[in-house]
Amino acid sequence: MLSTGKKVYARPKRSMRPLLKKTIIYVLSIVLAMIYLLPFYWTVIKAFRNSIFANFPPNLNPLSETSLSYFLANLRTVWSFGDFPLWYFNSVFVSACVVAGSVFVGMLSGYAFAKLKFPGRNVLFYAVLATLMIPFPVISIASYVFMLDLNWLSTYQGLILPQIASALDVFIMRQYFLTIPEEMELAAKIDGLRPWQIFFSIDLPNAKPAIAAATIFSFIGSWNNFLWPLMEVHSLNMFTLPLVLNFFKGANGTQIYWNQMMTVNILTMIPTIAIFVAFERYFINGISMTFSDGR
Amino acid sequence: MVCLNTEVYQVNKIREGKKKNKSPEKMTGILFIIPLMIFISVFTFFPAIYSFVISLFHYNPFFHSIYFTGVSNYIHVVESPAFLKSLLNVLLYTAVVVTVQTFLAFVYALLFNTASKISRIARAIVFIPAVVSPVSMSIIFIWVFSDSGLVNFFLSFFGIAPHNWLFSTEFAFPAIMAMNIFTTAPYFMIIYSAGLQAIPQDVLDAAKIDGITSAFARFRYIYFPMMRFSTVLVVILGLTGAMQLFDQIYVITDGGPARSTYVPLMYIYNRTFVYIGDIGLAAAASFVLFVIIMALTITQRKVITERTW
Repeated sequence: MLSTGKKVYARPKRSMRPLLKKTIIYVLSIVLAMIYLLPFYWTVIKAFRNSIFANFPPNLNPLSETSLSYFLANLRTVWSFGDFPLWYFNSVFVSACVVAGSVFVGMLSGYAFAKLKFPGRNVLFYAVLATLMIPFPVISIASYVFMLDLNWLSTYQGLILPQIASALDVFIMRQYFLTIPEEMELAAKIDGLRPWQIFFSIDLPNAKPAIAAATIFSFIGSWNNFLWPLMEVHSLNMFTLPLVLNFFKGANGTQIYWNQMMTVNILTMIPTIAIFVAFERYFINGISMTFSDGR
Repeated sequence: MVCLNTEVYQVNKIREGKKKNKSPEKMTGILFIIPLMIFISVFTFFPAIYSFVISLFHYNPFFHSIYFTGVSNYIHVVESPAFLKSLLNVLLYTAVVVTVQTFLAFVYALLFNTASKISRIARAIVFIPAVVSPVSMSIIFIWVFSDSGLVNFFLSFFGIAPHNWLFSTEFAFPAIMAMNIFTTAPYFMIIYSAGLQAIPQDVLDAAKIDGITSAFARFRYIYFPMMRFSTVLVVILGLTGAMQLFDQIYVITDGGPARSTYVPLMYIYNRTFVYIGDIGLAAAASFVLFVIIMALTITQRKVITERTW
């Protein structure tokens, strides 16, 4: 667990050094955080402005030239641009389906790999491991041709189904189920519950942190996915937000209307950032859980 | 990659020995695994094999022309100047980005390795670029590096003349490298953070008694050796990620100017969708890339795990 830090031991000799060290660490942390916030800060204030170009030097004053009415005007322009509401819906719908599918699939198989004994378990687990070694771009061409053959280009199923099998979700779930003690299930077994009943009534309700982590990972992965929609979608009405952003960039010829662009960008980033901020702990634990070593 | 916990495996084995009535468990196990296996087979294994088959053919699905060509696609790919240039670019990119981001990730992790609220919040803020889509980051950084952007603004304090970074053959690629280091270092920071948290306090206390008190000595004798697993992970994940660079290039420079930012995936994409024609060529290029990624991963792993510090 990352949230529980190291214990601070009382030192026998009190000097100014630890305090100084602490101050330096805090100052550096805050400076680094500010550097990281700067591009986002600029994105936000740009969306609250009326000027469509980037002027030099950049006006970083949040109070000058900004107004809520400018933002609302930008929002209206963007929202009525092309099929924006449909594009937004596409992103939400595709991500929702991918999350539901991959978490469900990951849940069942993660449990099976962690807790159930069945023939070929190890071989199949190595097969899942092997998918991690195959980068998506390597199979993207064949996937595209496959979709072409099925006549699934620019369809929801074509966008959603290839994104569902996620080894990452399987690992998150498996790692978590491995930590659930055997005794809990043993008690249920004595009570005569069948394996699937044990899974649904005992292990699954306990797996909320792992489900949360898997959900966040697959949501962010699918929401941000660019290469697959770029290859798979050939009609405007199936666009997802990353494609919209890229489309918008070229929509006004060589001229980018920065304030509208940044409004689209904010609309695109809000769900991921909101989810990250709300579930930060699960997210970070999820990464450490997946990549924890077997020391 | 993800390590198998050998201890848990052994525990599982002991546990399995005790079980008598296995058949309902067997059934459930197989049933639970079926959905995953269907998806993996249809959308990963099948395309992987299909990809290899396509790479042996001249294949143009748009004009329905298809005939067997053997390895000639591979020969064409490795002799193509565009592909070689893209490979050279991505190798340079990998060398620079993986080195710098690994170092930065470690520094960030050390910096935020305190239990205070300030560190927690700062770490969460620093992490935000890692959850935002590469396309969004690209859009923001087009502005950051533009002639009227933030980079020029800060450089102007030092009397450096404004420059249109993304339109110059010298600076476009370094600019994209810098942007990606900015976004990926926080991601790998989490892996190091988890590793640092796993160092027991006793080790640090014992080291203090042994006279390891300076920050450098602590780094040299405790953090660095104990973080070896994390480093293997960060380097390998960084490597595979770097070799798959595409989104940012496509959005920001489209491979230009003058192919200075051309990468293998750009070549693969263009072969399929821009110079509409030979998908077999694109598939062959993707396999060459795959082999290089595998070779790099395996050698990296060997070098890092076998060497003892």
